[in-house]
Parts: sequence; C-alpha cells; structure tokens
Amino acid sequence: MKEDRRVWIWFAPVLLILGLVYLVPVLDVLRLSFSDATLLRPVSGYGVDGYVAAFAADSLGVILRNTAVFTALSVVGLQIVGLAIALLLVRGDCRGLYGMTMLRTIVLAAWVIPGIANGLIWQMLLSEAPFGAVNSVLRMIGIPPVAWLSDPVNAMMSAVIANVWQGSAFSMIVFYAARRAVDPVLYEAAEVDGASASAQFVFITLPQMRGAILVNSVLVTIQTLNTFDTILALTGGGPGRATEVLSLYIFNTVFYAYDLGGGSALAVVLLGISMMLTLVYLAILVRRRT
Amino acid sequence: MSPRVADIATYIAGIVLAALFLMPLAWLLSLALRTPAEVYLGAARFIPEAPTLDNFRLILTDGAFGTYLYNAIKLCALGALGAVILATPAAYAASRFQFRGKGPVMVAILLVQMISPLVVIIPLYRYMDRLGLLESHSAVIGVYMAIGVPLSVWLIKTGFDTIPLSLEEAAAIDGCGRFEILARITLPLAAPALASAFILNMIMGWSQFLVPFILLTRDGQLPISVAIYNFAGSTSASTTQVLAAACLVAVVPALVAFLALQRLIVRAIMAGAVKG
Repeated sequence: MKEDRRVWIWFAPVLLILGLVYLVPVLDVLRLSFSDATLLRPVSGYGVDGYVAAFAADSLGVILRNTAVFTALSVVGLQIVGLAIALLLVRGDCRGLYGMTMLRTIVLAAWVIPGIANGLIWQMLLSEAPFGAVNSVLRMIGIPPVAWLSDPVNAMMSAVIANVWQGSAFSMIVFYAARRAVDPVLYEAAEVDGASASAQFVFITLPQMRGAILVNSVLVTIQTLNTFDTILALTGGGPGRATEVLSLYIFNTVFYAYDLGGGSALAVVLLGISMMLTLVYLAILVRRRT
Repeated sequence: MSPRVADIATYIAGIVLAALFLMPLAWLLSLALRTPAEVYLGAARFIPEAPTLDNFRLILTDGAFGTYLYNAIKLCALGALGAVILATPAAYAASRFQFRGKGPVMVAILLVQMISPLVVIIPLYRYMDRLGLLESHSAVIGVYMAIGVPLSVWLIKTGFDTIPLSLEEAAAIDGCGRFEILARITLPLAAPALASAFILNMIMGWSQFLVPFILLTRDGQLPISVAIYNFAGSTSASTTQVLAAACLVAVVPALVAFLALQRLIVRAIMAGAVKG
C-alpha cells in the first residue's frame, strides 16, 4: 500500500477549505464565547460572563420556547406533507396516472425559492391590509379577516406554514425514494390476505419506512433549527418576540446589538444542539448498517 | 374502495396539492402584473383587468437590480465551480483507492453540513474584516465553496463509482498515466455527476442570505437575495406590486434553471436521499 500516505494529497483541497471555513471558526466561537469582545472592540478578558448573561436574560426562555414550538410544528408538518405527497406519487406511478411528474415538479419548485423571497411572498399572501390575498378571499365568503401576522399565536402558525410550504420537497424526495425501495411482494401478500389500504399503511409502509422517517426527522430538525431567513422576512421575529427563534436571536444579538461574546455563547448552544442531533443521526446510520 | 374510485381520489388530492403549492407563486405573479389601483381590489382581481408590465420595467431598468442579478450569478457560479474543483480530487480518491481512515473522513465531511453558517459567520466576519476582504467578492465566494464542498464530494464520488474500473485499466495497458486517464476518460464520463453537483451548488448559493448579508459592505456588491430584503424594508404597502415584481425577478432564474435541469437534479437528490 504505497498510496497509503500519498492519498491524503487528494483530500488536501477539501480538508484545507473546510478547516479554514468551519473548523477554525468553530474553535474560535468557543474561545469568543468566553470573552467580552463586541463586534467593534477586541477581546480584553475571558470569563463565563457571556454565558451567565445569555442564560440570565429574561428573553432566553421565550426564545427557547419559540424555537421548540417552531421546530416541533415544522418537523411534524414537513414530514406529514412530505409523506403524503410521496405516497400519492408512488400510487400514481404504480397505476400509471397522468401528471405525477408535474406534481413533483411543482412541489420541488417551492424548494428552489430563496428563504428571503419565501418570507416576502407569504407576507404578501397573509397581509392584513384589506387587499391581502387570504383575507380578501375570506371576506368574499363572509368570514371576518384574521390577524395572521400581528397576533402572536397566528404569527407563529404563519411562520410554520411558510416553512412547511417551502421545505416539504426535501422530505418528499427522501420518502419517495424509501417507499420505492419497499419490496412490492409485501403488498401483494397483504392484498391476497385481504388487508385494507389503511392496514397496509400501518403494518407495511410505516414499519418499512421507519429508518427513513427517523433519519429524515433528524435532518429536518437540524435544517429547521438553522433557518431564520424566512422568519426574518415574514415577521422579523415579531410581533414583539413571538416568532423570534434561537438562530434569529443570535443574528440580532451579534449583528444588531454588537454583542459578540454573548452571541457566541448562544451560537455554542445552537452548535451543541445540532451536535447532539448529529450523534443521534450517526447512531441511526450505524444501526442500519449492522 | 375500487381502484377506479381510488384513482379519482388520487387525482383530486393531487390537484388540491398542486393548487396549494402553486397558489403563492400565482398570487405573486398576479400582484406583479397589477396597477396600484388593482392591488387594492385584493383577490377579486386575481386576474388583472388591465395587466401591466410597468412594475417589471421599473425593476429591470433600475440599473441597481441588474447589478444585483449579475452579482448573484457571479457569486454562486464561481462558488459552485470552486466547490466542484476542490471536491473532485477527494471524490476520485474516495471512489478509487482503499486506505485507512476513508470511512471516518467521508462521514466527517458529510457532518460538516450540520454546522449552521450562523455559527461560523461570527469569526469569519472578524477574519475578513482584518484581511480587508469585506469590500470584495472573494470572501463570499470562498465561503460558498466551503458550503458546497461536502455535498459535492459525495455526489461526485457516486458518479465515479458508476464508471467501470476496466475502462481505466484498459487505458493504463495502452500506456496512459494516471492523470491522463483522469483527464481523458474518467472526468468526461463523470460529467453528469459534476454537472449536477455544480447546479445544486448554484441553487443553494442563490438562496444564500446570511453570508453575503454579513460579509459584503457595499450596496453595489450585493446579490439579489439580500437586495430584495433591503428593498422590502424600504417600501410601503402602496408599492406591493413593485415588491412582487422584484421577488419574481429574484425567484425566476432559480426556477428556470431548476425546470431546465430537473431530471439531473432529482436524480442527484434521490441518490443522496437513499444514502442518507
């Protein structure tokens, strides 16, 4: 094995850029999180003040609750919508129905839209002005207008809807691939035994796709935790703090409040959550291999 | 339920879903084609009675938007190209050589994706500030390359895996060196994988907001995704139709690229999805 050591030359460009853009900054965030630096002033001392201040802040509880609600609802929504479309597509494919590729294309098209544009589009749809899309339709059928963005609870639902609309395509593709990999013999046998469609779903589809659903939950959770551009454009975190999630809070802390130490401490919290989820993901992958 | 009835139910569900997913874009187009007077009529004027292209004219003749579009294309094309170039040697080695530590390093590369750009952007801002790179596009292109590398390595490796080794061995017998084989045989055959990695990177770069928002300081350097955010902050409700046109201008290039190359893209995501 003469290539044993020389082989790493092939990896040098990748390792170099990932080291510079990810590894060094991650270590630096850890260092900064223990410092008193601001965006404008360099480090003058180290300590746990950043963490103490970050965890003592009244707002943190609200932020973490928002993050949990937004992430949980989004993950459930993304997976249910993704799974429903994937199963519909597979059924259409099996029966040779028309338009299934077109449906897939339409769903994927939403996925291509930049997060900022997504937030702006939903802002126009849910606009509370008398001419807002949804509210003017409601008025036409005699329902009073809904405060989609100015009511705290509704604003959270609106943010989740916008996120699910854009992100379902990813889950759809994962589930579509997984469903097609299920052995058709299982369904044929169930058919012979006279199992109903819902029984087939509960006893074949769900158990067979358990691995894909697990992996997808972790991936979608991490993606949702890290998104903030849709919310930034849709509600800006408001009304008040009603839709301010952790990632948006970090963004505001560092780049509007210029609190680098505190923002870094929060970024370390975000990184810690992502890392824990990643370990879960790895454990699932290893389990599936063996 | 008989299969016929189930087919009809499938069609109805499909149409409802398609409508739900198309509606936001259709509304955007509807707004963008309206005059201010018709904007105030809301959903009643979903199909404008006096459609106008004035909003698009306003956006596209404004020199700034041309610059934003150009910046966006430049940033994501160079970032995507760089990621593919950096990823290709590693992908080739991962596909062709057996060596200790291959599995862990490939998984580590994949896991880098789990780190939010939000975490690394804080130190990166400080480095680029000190290096004086906040005034140029090079910092953003470098970060885009790093963001695109993990997915590119895996996609291109999958592409190399499908090329039979016997082709390379035959060329070696004919006296070709390793690099000649790579340049003349392997890379051309891996073109679909290289292309799909490039396109996926382009689309991801097009959506990027945080990196250019933080790492660029001059307005004339901003890509369209940041520009529409700033533009939205500067308008009042009376110019909704102009904002809609601006959003469409930001969305359409990505949609067109996606529609044109969708076969390639879907195959690439599926390959990734099965692996994940």
